[in-house]
Amino acid sequence: MSFSDLLLQQTINGLSLGAMYALLALGFTLVYGILELINFAHFNVFMVGSFIGMWTLQLMGINGQSIVMTGLPLIGTMLIALIVTMVLSGALGVLIERVSLRPLRDVKGPAAMITTIGVSYVLFNIILLTVGADSKNYPNPLPPVQWDIGDAVLRLREVLIWVIAVLLMLGLHFFVQRSKMGKAMRATAQDPEAARMMGVEVDRVIVIAFFLGSALAGAGGLIFGLYYNFTSFIIGFTAGLRAFTAAVLGGIGNVPGAMLGGVIIGLIEAMGGQFIATAWTDVIIFSILVLVLVFRPAGLLGRVAPNKS
Amino acid sequence: MRMITKLFARIPMARRQHLLTLLAGVAAIAFPLLHDNDADIDSAANAAAYATLALGLNIVVGFAGLLDLGYAAFFAIGAYAYGILTSFQVMPHWSGFWEPFAWLELVRRIPQPGGDLVHFTVSFWIMLPVSALIAAAFGVLFGAPTLRLRGDYLAIVTLGFGEIVPIVVRNVDSVTNGAAGLNGIQAPRLFGHSFGVAALPYYYVAIGLVALLVFVSIRLRDSRIGRAWMAIREDEIAAAAMGVDRTRTKLLAFAIGAGFAGATGTFYVAKLQTATPEMFGFPVSVMILVMVVLGGMGSVWGVVLGAVSLQLLQSWFLEDISGWIHDLGTLIGQPWMLKIDLTESIELIFGLILVFMMLYRRDGLIPATRKQSALSFEEQHAEVRRGGFPALTGLGNFTHSDHTGLEVRDITVRFGGLVALNKVNLAVPAGDVVAVIGPNGSGKSTLFNVITGLTAADGGTIRFDTQSLLGLPPHQILRRGVARTFQNIRLFTNLSVLDNVLIGQHARLKTGPIAAVFRPPSTRREEAAARVWATEILSLFGNRLLPRATQTVSHLSYANRRRVEIARALASRPKILLLDEPTAGMNPAETLELAEQIKSLHSLGLTILLIEHKLDVVTRLADKVVVLDHGEKIAEGTPDEVRRNDAVLQAYLGRGTLAEGMVDA
Repeated sequence: MSFSDLLLQQTINGLSLGAMYALLALGFTLVYGILELINFAHFNVFMVGSFIGMWTLQLMGINGQSIVMTGLPLIGTMLIALIVTMVLSGALGVLIERVSLRPLRDVKGPAAMITTIGVSYVLFNIILLTVGADSKNYPNPLPPVQWDIGDAVLRLREVLIWVIAVLLMLGLHFFVQRSKMGKAMRATAQDPEAARMMGVEVDRVIVIAFFLGSALAGAGGLIFGLYYNFTSFIIGFTAGLRAFTAAVLGGIGNVPGAMLGGVIIGLIEAMGGQFIATAWTDVIIFSILVLVLVFRPAGLLGRVAPNKS
Repeated sequence: MRMITKLFARIPMARRQHLLTLLAGVAAIAFPLLHDNDADIDSAANAAAYATLALGLNIVVGFAGLLDLGYAAFFAIGAYAYGILTSFQVMPHWSGFWEPFAWLELVRRIPQPGGDLVHFTVSFWIMLPVSALIAAAFGVLFGAPTLRLRGDYLAIVTLGFGEIVPIVVRNVDSVTNGAAGLNGIQAPRLFGHSFGVAALPYYYVAIGLVALLVFVSIRLRDSRIGRAWMAIREDEIAAAAMGVDRTRTKLLAFAIGAGFAGATGTFYVAKLQTATPEMFGFPVSVMILVMVVLGGMGSVWGVVLGAVSLQLLQSWFLEDISGWIHDLGTLIGQPWMLKIDLTESIELIFGLILVFMMLYRRDGLIPATRKQSALSFEEQHAEVRRGGFPALTGLGNFTHSDHTGLEVRDITVRFGGLVALNKVNLAVPAGDVVAVIGPNGSGKSTLFNVITGLTAADGGTIRFDTQSLLGLPPHQILRRGVARTFQNIRLFTNLSVLDNVLIGQHARLKTGPIAAVFRPPSTRREEAAARVWATEILSLFGNRLLPRATQTVSHLSYANRRRVEIARALASRPKILLLDEPTAGMNPAETLELAEQIKSLHSLGLTILLIEHKLDVVTRLADKVVVLDHGEKIAEGTPDEVRRNDAVLQAYLGRGTLAEGMVDA
């Protein structure tokens, strides 16, 4: 494969990974923007979302890669799987907020963050203990259509992933920028106290943020399964850390920043794996995280936050 | 049994703790003699090793309040340091360079046909402290770039480092033997006898380590260093303003915590005689965190208990309970019960512990601060005094009128597009009281923040006693004699009144970590003098603060908190005191009392810069009044001149409503 074809192929791969990380990063950013909380539970909401997607597809009679669909049935199946996964993952996020985080809303210090680590561990181990440690073959009804561009290959699943991710992100962007709830969200992120006094129901805003973030993580989990053809209890940790790095890189609390960061991290992972060594991918990504935090804590698109003291 | 508890209740509180310590020590020493089971002694040795890790993490998380999610990285560093220096993994070629090391028995010459090789044989007893130092050095290395970050970012960065270290270990196989792990690590030797694989000697080394680190933890906690850590945990900004060097103090916590882990790592691999990257991953970091959270963040004995109980739960109880469930299943013929293995669900239990402890018992099993009994009626009774401070005998040392005072020139501060201060000039001559007044949002507190180094200036100069303060970090500004209080009270809420005032003296004391542990006579004297000074400062406020010296600040009334904040600032022996609305929220009687106290501080020679809304207080105290509005100085003069100034009246009352005397209302 020529160098330019390699580059093209890794760009295709990187954009697919990036789409997934961006969806996951949005959840970190939404919650952080409002609560200034790193939500470690998000890591494994993504993982559980991936299983919800798998079970939904299986309930519709799709097992492994043997059943291939085309046309409207394919679109319908994917749409149902996506919606069910997102709604249930979103509900999981809301449940986590309601049960474990709301009572700690006014507690200073690392208590809330420690709780999210605990929740993350609980989700992780529930799946491990009930589903098992072996990775699961992911149901995938996509036809094996692909386009050859030189030596590089663009598969239908990649196009589908991009379409889903772009549509979801556009939807979120318009929701945050245009809708009344979105405005309330932005107001709460700026100053929860002032927003509350202006009649914003802050509790509801937080619930919506958790719902949207977790729903997008669920979509990311479904995409993970469709892209790699497997899922496992273990996928949340690495993907979560990379997505968090993406959110920080783009500017945490910043919605377009999370998307940009996701794409950049996806590309770095693909290129790094190709041209450096897969074994060092995480080291590279963490080095980026540290460098960004030290030298540009506001991220690429973020502005320096005013001192909230 | 009742007799024992009754007897115990009769022992004074301080003695009780010593007695419990002694009992725990005796039990720990006697355990292997009474229970001669190698596997159980081995579990107990592991429990002790985890207790040392929990003690180290407790310094970082519990004392300094820094959430470290990659603590196992330092455990790994200590482990591999010993592993590499005592196994056959790294063997350089022999040369004369190694001769002295061979003589010191740190290396051995291995004859080889292709040229002799060097085999490292560094003693376990040497490596124990050396690993601690190596890990501490890595703690500084990881901490230096990241400790300036906000606490929550620190968590994720440490998580990152916690991941990177095992990856590096896995990838540089020439040094670490990669994923396969180091083998043939040498067991410790003592007086020519190898420890081998029997659990007993390791057990005693482990409880020795626990005892040592408990001692070090307690000594550090009750010292200038420990107070600085807790100040940072409670309120970083206030800690800095009170003279605590944030970066250094945090780094110190990070390094000492890492050092504990490094020594434990050496112990742990010496016991196992093998080391693999998997032994030091994220789950280990979380497990240590669970131990600290369960026992009580900041509680030394709590985290030991947390570590021991979790380790025993894991290695003994879960297996036993699973066994009982299996027996029960066989008995009542329920085959599904035979499949239950609770040891597999240990991580689920960890997760649940984290969530439930945070929701229902954040202070852990043994809380770091004990509940305090209420004050008696007499102690609660406040004598409202008039005429300033009663006892001024020991306080002659506030006279600093030899300095040239504070001079702020053309200071400008912008927040984005907003100009908070625009070329403001202000002079506070030594020995004077100057008041700054102005409507809300006029830039008064920003002026204080820029003088004390909490906000950066966009132009201008600030000089105190001819030295420039601009660009200095807050703790150095305090060191030069500029102390302050905050408009919205920033005390160390979960610490006692006495501790708050002691932290005020941080910059005036010298005790470092080593002196804190060994407590040489000079340190004892310094600490005793600090307590005397703190008590003197507290006694300024009559019986308002003194009976409450050991109470947690969060139990105090609003007015008393204001007084503690002033006491804390005074404790630093300032040359100039910046008071930001000291009487806010006080009733007229309390206001009057405080105003007279401020006046007596002034008569002691203290220079005072005051932000105040109550104009009667300003009139009573100030030699000069400076009026700010929209970030600009609009008037300056004596209180009388200022209250007649048109611009001032307009700023306060708005245009067209000028009415002389209305500002008095």
